[in-house]
Amino acid sequence: MDFDFSDDQEQLRDAVRKWVDKGYTFERRRAAVAAGGFDRAAWGELAELGLTALTVPEAHDGMGQGAIDAMVVAEELGRGIVLEPIAQAFIASSVLSHYAPAEVQSAWLPRVASGEALVVLAQQERKARYRLDVCEAKAAKAQSGYTVTAIKSVVPAGDKADAFIVPAQLDGKIALFLVERTASGVTTQGYVTQDGSRAAEVHLANAPATLITTDGLAALELAVDTGIAAACAEAVGVMDKTVAITVEYMNQRKQFGVFISSFQALRHRVADMKMQLELARSMSYYASLKLGAPAEERRAAMARAKVQLGQSMRFVGQQAVQLHGGIGVTDEYIVSHYFKKLTQLEVTFGDTLHHLGEVSARMQDTAGVFA
Amino acid sequence: MDLAFTPEEQAFREEIRAWVHANLPKEISHKVHNALRLTREDMQGWAKILGKKGWLGFGWPKEFGGPGWTAVQKHLFEEECALAGAPRIVPFGPVMVAPVIMAFGNAEQQKRFLPGIASGEVWWSQGYSEPGSGSDLASVKTRAERVGDKYIVNGQKTWTTLGQHGDWMFNLVRTSTEGKPQTGISFLLVDMKSKGVTVRPIKLLDGECEVNEVFFDNVEVPAENLIGEENKGWTYAKHLLSHERTNIADVNRSKRELERLKRIAKTEGVWDDLRFRDQIALLEVDIVALEMLVLRVLSAEKSGKNSLDIAGLLKIKGSEIQQRYAELMMLAAGPFAMPFIEEAMEAGWQGNFPGGVTANAPLASTYFNLRKTTIYGGSNEVQRNIVAQTVLG
Repeated sequence: MDFDFSDDQEQLRDAVRKWVDKGYTFERRRAAVAAGGFDRAAWGELAELGLTALTVPEAHDGMGQGAIDAMVVAEELGRGIVLEPIAQAFIASSVLSHYAPAEVQSAWLPRVASGEALVVLAQQERKARYRLDVCEAKAAKAQSGYTVTAIKSVVPAGDKADAFIVPAQLDGKIALFLVERTASGVTTQGYVTQDGSRAAEVHLANAPATLITTDGLAALELAVDTGIAAACAEAVGVMDKTVAITVEYMNQRKQFGVFISSFQALRHRVADMKMQLELARSMSYYASLKLGAPAEERRAAMARAKVQLGQSMRFVGQQAVQLHGGIGVTDEYIVSHYFKKLTQLEVTFGDTLHHLGEVSARMQDTAGVFA
Repeated sequence: MDLAFTPEEQAFREEIRAWVHANLPKEISHKVHNALRLTREDMQGWAKILGKKGWLGFGWPKEFGGPGWTAVQKHLFEEECALAGAPRIVPFGPVMVAPVIMAFGNAEQQKRFLPGIASGEVWWSQGYSEPGSGSDLASVKTRAERVGDKYIVNGQKTWTTLGQHGDWMFNLVRTSTEGKPQTGISFLLVDMKSKGVTVRPIKLLDGECEVNEVFFDNVEVPAENLIGEENKGWTYAKHLLSHERTNIADVNRSKRELERLKRIAKTEGVWDDLRFRDQIALLEVDIVALEMLVLRVLSAEKSGKNSLDIAGLLKIKGSEIQQRYAELMMLAAGPFAMPFIEEAMEAGWQGNFPGGVTANAPLASTYFNLRKTTIYGGSNEVQRNIVAQTVLG
């Protein structure tokens, strides 16, 4: 039982924080949002820092690091509400290295690592909500390889990505495919989401596809769990900074002739925010520490973590705006952008009620074995 | 980072588990597992069993006869005791006053008081709160006047937990009214059999007398019972509070009670009611999150890195969880938790409890009793003040 970070992890944190503070200013982010919500140059800078390669196996030109390293990176990027979806690099490297045939790994993992290829998970369907076993997309065997027909929604950076990881029905069960964005039959409709980042509707009409695995549901669960752990870590970074911004504001804003940080009603609200932040941080650690556990244990842990994180995010986000007063609901001031990020993270990979249902359904006699 | 305990820590846990299993009397653990009433003999009986093994002072360093365990070992010991259904160690002697005597008492006092605490023979009580001094503890008025080689004590303490069983009592008394309130307080040990000490039990909302008023009427206390220096008592009391760390979260007991809640929900037919079950699921998430928070604090203590100043958060969340499980247990039984039949809360009662499930008898009483947890030990509102101070300055 050890919650300390290694020296390497501390150095990684410092490096990412330095880039966020110096290289990813709020002005740069605002410009990126105005330009569509995805900045390929910033993605390239993340790659230069080694972040796209972080969890790619060393055999495929990656750094072969683990879930805690990924967590550290996601936290720090969250602190700067960075738009570029680093979680997608973690997801792609995890799914491909665990499930893809050797030749698919060799073809794609080095390009994921270098940042040359942005590979994103395209799993969301209209009727599925957060259920991973609900999938209407259809795959068919073609002369060489497969084709996939599907409509996938809110796909991160969907019209900028180089390839999609797509679940689709094959012979009555879910399989996972890789589809290149420039392939025939692929159309995308891109847009900016509430948090300022980019997403797209992705239409696949008999698009040529490469099979990743026929064990698609298990692979999809790993993909989403990797995404949940990253989302939790990102949320911790966002909340940590949100609390800091709020504290700074309260210590310089005066009303009735005194700093508003002197009012007990507001001080108690801040104490409650700190509570939610630390519970969230604890459960983010828990999620990343459980990412390598057997599937059932891993799934249960992710659900628990997302229930805590979802509650924490909503409370911290809403209260940060409230404690700022009028300035909190403006676009100009930074805190509203943190609030919107937290709001979107709550509904990413399953919201609080969905995961509460998962916890509830899995609940059994567990005394003494939470850790 | 690693969630697993080390092989040595696992082995330690196994050792504790085996010993507790072999030495905790079954009739006592039966009462704890079913929230039945514990007698003084139950509580002190277990204390003496631990004392004989040298584990009643489980937090003590070796130089004072303790086991010298690490923070993690102490946590594992408490967890194994809690899960096995051991009564909670009455903390006033071994956990609260002993560290003060070790740190600030003289050699004579250490020799005189520590053995009785370590063995569980002497029952200690706490004399802090007064009718006019609750959250504002530094305003205590109970007066100790130095006359020759004695102090003459006059005043009143209250909320003295289990004081009706007490042999000795440690007190914050006023020895000076000069300067700030904190600087006129002394830490004085009083033999509760002294002439002029009156203990009056206070009946609480659950029907039990868990706390007492203690009156001092010209009580003569030998000056040698003063700990440390006169007027330095507040400093010593703060040291005492710093000894209550992760155990104030009481997460181990909450883990045990969560399982009891699940059993009650099944018996009462609400386990399959998703609206009810989701509430248990939320509590389960709360308990896992609290456990992770506790483990983070332990890890920080172990390595000395990333120290976490979050005792206030542990108190707030831990107490809210205790209240919540008790509330859900009571709500699970609903109207069948309402009959107030005190005999049914005693072990071995053979009567017919309304509805037929005697296990429902103590549910409402426990719910009422645990309202204290957000009030005692520094109310949760005072804790929020402390947390806010660390965040906002």
